[in-house]
Amino acid sequence: MKKSQSASLADRIQQLTDMSMKRPVMKFNTAKFKEFIKTTPKNYSVIVMFTAMAPQRQCQICRHANDEFVVVANSFRYYQPYSNKLFFALVDFDEGSDVFQMMRLNTAPVYMHFPAKGKPKAADTMDIQRVGLAAEAIAKWILERTDIQIRVFRPPSYSGIIAVFMLLILIGGFLYLRRNNLDFIYNKTIWGLGAVLFTLTMISGQMWNHIRGPPFVYKSANGNVAYIHGSSQGQLVLETYIVLLLYGAVVVGMIFMTEAASRKGDVKKRRIFTVIGLALVAIFFSLLLSIFRNKAQGYPYRYY
Amino acid sequence: MQLNKATAAIAANPPSSGNKKISFFDKKPIVKQVKSSTLTNIAGLNSLITFTVLLLAWISGFASRLFAVIRFESIIHEFDPWFNYRATAYMVQHGFYNFLNWFDERAWYPLGRIVGGTVYPGLMITSGSIHYIFSSLNIPIHIRDICVFLAPIFSGLTAISTYYLTKELWSAGAGLFAACFIAIVPGYISRSVAGSYDNEGIAIFALQFTYYLWVKSVKSGSIFWASMTALSYFYMVSAWGGYVFIINLIPLHVFVLLIMNRFSQRLFTSYTTFYILGLLFSMQIPFVGFQPIRTSEHMAAGGVFCLLILIGTLKYLRTFLTKSEIKYFGGIVTGIAIILLTVLIGLTYAGFVAPWSGRFYSLWDTGYAKVHIPIIASVSEHQPTTWFSFFFDLHILVTTFPVGLWYCIKHINDERVFVVLYAISAVYFAGVMVRLMLTLTPVVCMLSGIAFSGLLELFLKEEDRDENSGLNASEEESEEEQEKSPGRALYDKAGKLRRMKHEKPKGNGDGLGSNVRNGVVFFILVLLMMFTVHCTWVTSNAYSSPSIVLASYSNDGGRAILDDFREAYYWLAQNTPTDARIMSWWDYGYQIAGMANRTTLVDNNTWNNSHIALVGKAMSSNESAAYEIMTSLDVDYVLVIFGGMIGYSGDDINKFLWMVRIAEGEHPQDIREGDYFTERGEFRIDSEGSPTLLNSLMYKLSYYRFGEVKIDYRSPYGYDRTRSAEIGNKHFQITYLEEAYTSEHWLVRIYRVKKPSEFNRPRIPISKRQIIRQTSSYISRKTARKKKGYIKKRPTVIKGQKLQKRIST
Repeated sequence: MKKSQSASLADRIQQLTDMSMKRPVMKFNTAKFKEFIKTTPKNYSVIVMFTAMAPQRQCQICRHANDEFVVVANSFRYYQPYSNKLFFALVDFDEGSDVFQMMRLNTAPVYMHFPAKGKPKAADTMDIQRVGLAAEAIAKWILERTDIQIRVFRPPSYSGIIAVFMLLILIGGFLYLRRNNLDFIYNKTIWGLGAVLFTLTMISGQMWNHIRGPPFVYKSANGNVAYIHGSSQGQLVLETYIVLLLYGAVVVGMIFMTEAASRKGDVKKRRIFTVIGLALVAIFFSLLLSIFRNKAQGYPYRYY
Repeated sequence: MQLNKATAAIAANPPSSGNKKISFFDKKPIVKQVKSSTLTNIAGLNSLITFTVLLLAWISGFASRLFAVIRFESIIHEFDPWFNYRATAYMVQHGFYNFLNWFDERAWYPLGRIVGGTVYPGLMITSGSIHYIFSSLNIPIHIRDICVFLAPIFSGLTAISTYYLTKELWSAGAGLFAACFIAIVPGYISRSVAGSYDNEGIAIFALQFTYYLWVKSVKSGSIFWASMTALSYFYMVSAWGGYVFIINLIPLHVFVLLIMNRFSQRLFTSYTTFYILGLLFSMQIPFVGFQPIRTSEHMAAGGVFCLLILIGTLKYLRTFLTKSEIKYFGGIVTGIAIILLTVLIGLTYAGFVAPWSGRFYSLWDTGYAKVHIPIIASVSEHQPTTWFSFFFDLHILVTTFPVGLWYCIKHINDERVFVVLYAISAVYFAGVMVRLMLTLTPVVCMLSGIAFSGLLELFLKEEDRDENSGLNASEEESEEEQEKSPGRALYDKAGKLRRMKHEKPKGNGDGLGSNVRNGVVFFILVLLMMFTVHCTWVTSNAYSSPSIVLASYSNDGGRAILDDFREAYYWLAQNTPTDARIMSWWDYGYQIAGMANRTTLVDNNTWNNSHIALVGKAMSSNESAAYEIMTSLDVDYVLVIFGGMIGYSGDDINKFLWMVRIAEGEHPQDIREGDYFTERGEFRIDSEGSPTLLNSLMYKLSYYRFGEVKIDYRSPYGYDRTRSAEIGNKHFQITYLEEAYTSEHWLVRIYRVKKPSEFNRPRIPISKRQIIRQTSSYISRKTARKKKGYIKKRPTVIKGQKLQKRIST
């Protein structure tokens, strides 16, 4: 009895090895799942992703999760000395709904680790909410659970290079098409507008948004919507747009005043422009100050 | 509070005196009639006003940086300055060469640190030479006072060099505005208050001065100015790691000028001179060494140098080659450029040229540091910048500097290309990292100065319409003065604004009317007033805290000073052996070395990540595991900062997750960040907190005996005021350490690590404590005399007659 089981263990490992050689992430249906994961004894760990990749399931995040999972599996399989202690598998809801019922899962995607000995514990399900879906996070979690270090090796992303290349070709083509009329390159207004817009995006904290990824607006529990973050440490996306517009208005006001004073021509028009500029600066700067004051606790000066 | 008002009043002066200067322009025609007296002479008045404004800017800038000194005392602030101060004191005491060879065995125990080779010595040399000059003049002054007041004094020099730079770029009026702005703007004050003795204090001056000299040399095309630029660059390299900004911005300027087809002999001369001299100079700094030819950060400068030479050659060949031949050469140039690029890439791969270092790389790939280098991500000044901090540090300037940028682009010329590039790159870097707000601030001041002076010049000038002719003449005079260099006229396509001024008097259109004009002027004055008030408030409230002495204010306005840090460090200095090794988180390394003069394991020079991770691991492990690490590192004392008693938020428990993360990066088997969170992913210190956290060394050292403390009658025992929670692990004993000292407000707690013989031993009653020796194995001191050492073949002295005499007779 014992001998036959160990033979079948060797058999199974052989099968798994063969399968994983073909595809680093093996597709399991219910039968295979039972055969390779539920059967004891086994001396290997399996990382299983439960997912729903069929288009009709409309699981956007599953695609992304699958990509990251494949990156980890590939890095394990191809960029490291071979090991048959760890295998990667995938169970799709449409092929193995029994497995989902068996594991009492009703969400996807889920990463689970099936250890060599014993049943999976609570920590053997990866906490996607906390650590995210990135391949590095998965590798770290695998390291925690199995002590197998996987150095994630991402195949270099050619899409970015291609995009840059396409953009260059587009610009080049555009310039070639307009080669007879290249004056717009010397148009200072366009360059000036570009530079001013760039500085405005930067000083309104878009880079912070890009790195930290704050919510667009903040909805509190009782249904109120906040547009402005309450503390000086954070900001909301909409808030930065508002600030961007306020900055823009002040800049335009300043330029109006200067232009109106320096141009020749209809005095009435210039006067009106001056007053408009003055009003823009005054109103929008005081608005800016009031937002600032809301965020800065203990700012002593009231301007509005 | 009295002081607050006083400085506000002074600070309010400079911008308005800038206005005054422009209004004097209008009075010029009247004054012109009396030319005899120097005071009434226009040139004399001009320079007098310039001098006065700059002097006032210097004084007000200096004065508004003194809040900390007046409120507390003349001490060095924060963390890094303590190291700089210690190094300066060492240099003054032992001399410059000993300083360069200094191996500091008190840091990074057991590794030590080669200070001379790992530090930018410019700061120490500057204050050291000031001290030398004073002492050779027999003026006794303590080196600490020089260190404390160095940054405020240099802020005045920064204002002056900003004036000159802006004058080169736009006009003298804009320069005065810019100088006044930078004297008091919080974005710069944040790094240059009295006592903040850090590299940035002098580096911003060096930065602005280098840029001024560079613009000057591009305008004049003289080797003299280019060499001066290289010298100033040398000073900058010796002072701050931010010199990389210069060595990339100047080549970028040259490159963009080449693209814009603005190549000139002036550019060629100034850049080639600057690059070669600057390269040689910068390699003289031991810390920089061969980096300028071996790292990617410096490669752009070299590439632009090659490109400039190639284009120069091409231009030269064009003078005697036909067009078809030139085309042929164009192909060669492209080919050479491509070959150079591939060689560079090859060298990078082969390892001869180091790729971008993590700190710089994280500026481009903004997510890089968070994933790969937690030690960089953990530093609070490496965080991205919110719009709030931009506004907080720059106030009205942040909204007006795009206006200056707009006009610089509208009236572009060679040197304005430079300021445009400076603004755009600096604003990007400031957006990525709060710390780089410092490099943005000067250019913001310059461009805002341009915006304000452009506006006010127009609105104040129209006043005396009937004296236009005289105004026109003087305008031309001053402009001629500005454009002394002959070559500049060829390339200066700007001056549209100025030309408009010329045209206006001729045009017979009416002015805007005095009501509108006065309204605008008045409004702008109010804006500038608000700016100065804001600056003073921010300086006084946000940037003038020494952070080693804390102040707390009670409801009736009384002030209590919490001097716990110095108290604890002084205790260390007095009560521990001189070679005691103190373990603490790296933030406090420099302070311990500077104030307590004891050996530390890690400090703010975070060069060795694995060593820091080891300390982090000790702090986040349980007591017995930590004890093993501590004995392996020979730790004698452990110092933790605990703010729960007084509600100080910058304490070690709040920094604890970073310790865990950094430890996890190096020891993923033993430390897992997830263990320190509750099931619901929260970081809690109360009874629901994760058991790993509640039993970690840091937790125990912070909260030892805290469970017996009741802060006021409403709160329970062991109530942590910083995190507003009752601690979860209250009554515990610590086995491997013993409490050695806790400061008055419990802010600093010091523990002694017990020797292995001191714990887990049964207590023996005093009566039985006697030493029993076996007589047989006992070797007394007297018998040990046999082992007295002797020297083989020692020459024996024979007393008698001298040998020589006997022979001679």
